[in-house]
Amino acid sequence: MDQLLQHLLNGLLLGATYSLLGIGLTLVFGLMNVVNFAHGEFYTLGAYAAFATLTLASVHFFVAIPLAIVAGALAGAVCERVLLRPLRGQSIDTVMLVMIGLWIAMQNAELLGWGGVAKSVPTPFPTQPMVLGAVSVAPLRIFVFVVSGFLILGAHLLLSRTKLGRAMRATFQDRETAALMGVSIERIHTITFAFGAGLAAAAGALLGPVFLLYPSMGDLASLKAFSVVILGGLGNFGGAALGGLVLGIAEELGAGYVSSGYRDAVGFLIIVAVLLLRPSGLFARAERVG
Amino acid sequence: MRRLALPIGMVIALTAPAWVWNPYHLHTLIMAGIFAVLALSLNLLLGYTGQLSLGHAAFFGIGAYASALLSVKLEWSPWLGLLAAIVLPGLAGFVIGRLALKLRGAYFVLLTISFAGCVSLVSVNWMDLTNGPLGIPGVPPVEIALPWLPALSLRSKSAYYYLVLAAVVLAYLLCLAVIRSRVGRALVALRENETLAASVGIDATHYLVLAAVLSAAMAGFAGGLYAHYTRFVSPEVFLFTYTVTMVIMVVAGGKGTLAGPVVGAVLFTVLPEALRELTSYQWQMLLYGVLLVAVLFFMPEGIWPALRAAGPALRRRWRTS
Amino acid sequence: MKQAMRALFVALTAVAALVAPAPAQEAVKVGVIQPLSGSVAASGNYVRMGAEIGRDWINAKGGVLGRKVELLIEDNKSDPKEAATAAEKLIVRDKVPVIVGAWGSSMTLAAMPKLEEYGVPMVVETSSAATITKRGNPWVFRISPPSEMEALGLGKYMKDLGIKRADFLAVNTDWGRGAVGAFGDLLKRSGAQVGTAEFMEQAATDMNAQITKVKAGGADTLFLTTSVEQITLVLKQAQEQRLVRKVITTGGSSSPSQLIKQAGPAAEGTYHILFFLPWFPEAMPDGKLAKAFVDEWAKRGHPFEGLTEGFRGHDGVLTAVEAVRIAGKPDPKAVREALWKVNVMGVNGPIKFEKDGPAGKESGQSKPSIFIVQVKDGKIALPAFAAKK
Repeated sequence: MDQLLQHLLNGLLLGATYSLLGIGLTLVFGLMNVVNFAHGEFYTLGAYAAFATLTLASVHFFVAIPLAIVAGALAGAVCERVLLRPLRGQSIDTVMLVMIGLWIAMQNAELLGWGGVAKSVPTPFPTQPMVLGAVSVAPLRIFVFVVSGFLILGAHLLLSRTKLGRAMRATFQDRETAALMGVSIERIHTITFAFGAGLAAAAGALLGPVFLLYPSMGDLASLKAFSVVILGGLGNFGGAALGGLVLGIAEELGAGYVSSGYRDAVGFLIIVAVLLLRPSGLFARAERVG
Repeated sequence: MRRLALPIGMVIALTAPAWVWNPYHLHTLIMAGIFAVLALSLNLLLGYTGQLSLGHAAFFGIGAYASALLSVKLEWSPWLGLLAAIVLPGLAGFVIGRLALKLRGAYFVLLTISFAGCVSLVSVNWMDLTNGPLGIPGVPPVEIALPWLPALSLRSKSAYYYLVLAAVVLAYLLCLAVIRSRVGRALVALRENETLAASVGIDATHYLVLAAVLSAAMAGFAGGLYAHYTRFVSPEVFLFTYTVTMVIMVVAGGKGTLAGPVVGAVLFTVLPEALRELTSYQWQMLLYGVLLVAVLFFMPEGIWPALRAAGPALRRRWRTS
Repeated sequence: MKQAMRALFVALTAVAALVAPAPAQEAVKVGVIQPLSGSVAASGNYVRMGAEIGRDWINAKGGVLGRKVELLIEDNKSDPKEAATAAEKLIVRDKVPVIVGAWGSSMTLAAMPKLEEYGVPMVVETSSAATITKRGNPWVFRISPPSEMEALGLGKYMKDLGIKRADFLAVNTDWGRGAVGAFGDLLKRSGAQVGTAEFMEQAATDMNAQITKVKAGGADTLFLTTSVEQITLVLKQAQEQRLVRKVITTGGSSSPSQLIKQAGPAAEGTYHILFFLPWFPEAMPDGKLAKAFVDEWAKRGHPFEGLTEGFRGHDGVLTAVEAVRIAGKPDPKAVREALWKVNVMGVNGPIKFEKDGPAGKESGQSKPSIFIVQVKDGKIALPAFAAKK
């Protein structure tokens, strides 16, 4: 029983960060029809940005995280303007391959810049775990969980309550009509991509201190993000948020009670099952954003 | 000019071992050939049905493992192993094709990724069958055993080169036959407008499954060739980078054209080796990524279609000048 | 500032190299295959740095056969296919008489058919899979210990460690699987119980599930076999879950200094099996050489944590060049014969090959020195029982 509780808690904490990763990817896909293979690189960028501001510019931990998010969003905006905008109208495969190229280039640029040696981010949190009855958890992970929750909530509010969010949702539903209604599609695309990259960078800045920083850290993040997106349904915001939690808990239980070697298989099997039984995602009613 | 491209290419390819005196360059060409078969197989799905399989490394890996395991553990002749490397992945392709018959576009992509992920994990964890991460060393080379002659080993590079070249030509002709046939026209019709195709009586499922089986069998055959050439198979054959490399070759070469994937395969096998020569290791992969982005940026349709379009344009300039 | 100085230094050496008269004879080439990009790039780069020190030292002493030594460094991108291609390139195009490589066992195994095909020997500096020297490939000479040998090295301390029941947590690769088998056998032989064996993927970052499972069993010891990055994560996450175990890391790459720096108190009390002790160079078989290597490493600005991996590069190049010297010419076949006669003192200790594998086609296997250290009060210490012996 204690073991089960601990597994569930682990899964929940892990799942929240999966959600954060998945949301950015699902928005970019839903709105722009771009399969963003470089998503994990923005995660890496966020982590290294937090590390750089913390150790080189020695700002406070709580300042470094927002700075990293801004850095990620800026990088996303630049990438959209320079690479994606000229390619609009090209086939989805061509654009996907450009993102694959960006992924390879960014990862190896990070290797060149930071070296392959793993780095750890210092945090102001105590390393002693908090004990809650039978289970225990590090304070840092609680912090990450809470911030992730707020970021997801904030993204949701932005999409559902603001004028910008309405324009984004309109673009998702019908690009031409939205354009006729005076929505600047170009601007929405830049903002959406910057938004997705910023969320990925946020996940990186938050998880960097929990784990370690190394240039290929984004690969696993990308993989998880893709799993979450398909689980929740492509372009489905709420689905991605829930999908992350489901994936985190399922992986944790699979590794705990089946076989740790097959841990990642749990995610794949869920995806296959969902695709075959409910191809529009586990939580889909109608496809929508927000 | 275009009519000359194929014969000239064939002559160059056939005589390569005569003037490529350096076995390392010949090795690069053999790898290019194996990847050309892979790219042709992926192109059959991506280029002609519009469905992108991002799990193609799975078929490649199943083929490699099937041939390696049968010839190492059961001591079958490598030729039978290569046959199994066609049949087993073909079966896997059939299963995937049937399962995915309702899925299109991005959903198909994700199903194939997940399938490849599962197969890869099995190869790592099913120790009794696959020897897990330790891999299978000592895969025998292919031999031609004619009853009245001593066994002729294809261990030599140029012999293996011709075997691979034959495989490429075979794969190319198979694709050509498929595309010129009713099947090919049906596939293109489905790619362009599925509803319309269905309304004139084209059975989408039937043709998509057929394309998936053919494609998987070709990829598996490439896997078998790879296993008997490198003579070592490990779970890394399922690496996502192999799939990514295939996609790069097809899309950058020119998807939906027959020559494009072959051009892409040769170019993107030679490129990393050329970068090895030109720059130090820190820059190789970085430049590879940048070059890939640049190629697509300026030739979004792919290299081969861009070349074909450039040909007449150049000629016109010749005439006017 | 330091970087500017370094840049200036590099520029000056470059100018010096241009001005200096060209060597009378072509350099002796030694091929090096390491994972310089991809998932295990950090380790590969450390080995490369060590190899460069080895080269520079040899050249400072006049090189070999009156010629300079030149390293041709190739990246295997942490991918076996690339390791085979790199070997082919080094042998065929660059005509190296000997190779040092290729870090991971699967990469080494993939390169091995090429050695046989062209008849070029390779000094294996890191790989631990037993099969490498058991396959009957007479071109392979290994200076790193296979897992079985490492387990034997720990054997003499089994009583002192007082292990009654141990679990395993290992990376799901040839290395991790091999270590679980070898140390499991050691436990059984010495009458201890073997608990559960858990595995993790190479890129995994969250090992909480495995730790929770280990915690539910009742063992007293946990054997940990993986990269230093994953060890850091496991130790941190084990602390979060209050897992109390005697932790022993195997494989020798697990630079405990980096662990102390990155895992902090979570690393306290852990034991580490190592093949080099940069904290106590004087405790090494050749204290002076080890000290000089540690100093040179620091002088070049390489991170201290890399030493436990970097020495392999030095010893590999040293072995290869010594064989060239004995052979009297940079010819692959002569170098292979000469490798059997190598008897040289490396940073790890004496390097001398013994025959291993099927008769007639034996591979060479050296018997490296094996050490154990413990993290005590945030510092590396020799455990009392090991210091005595």
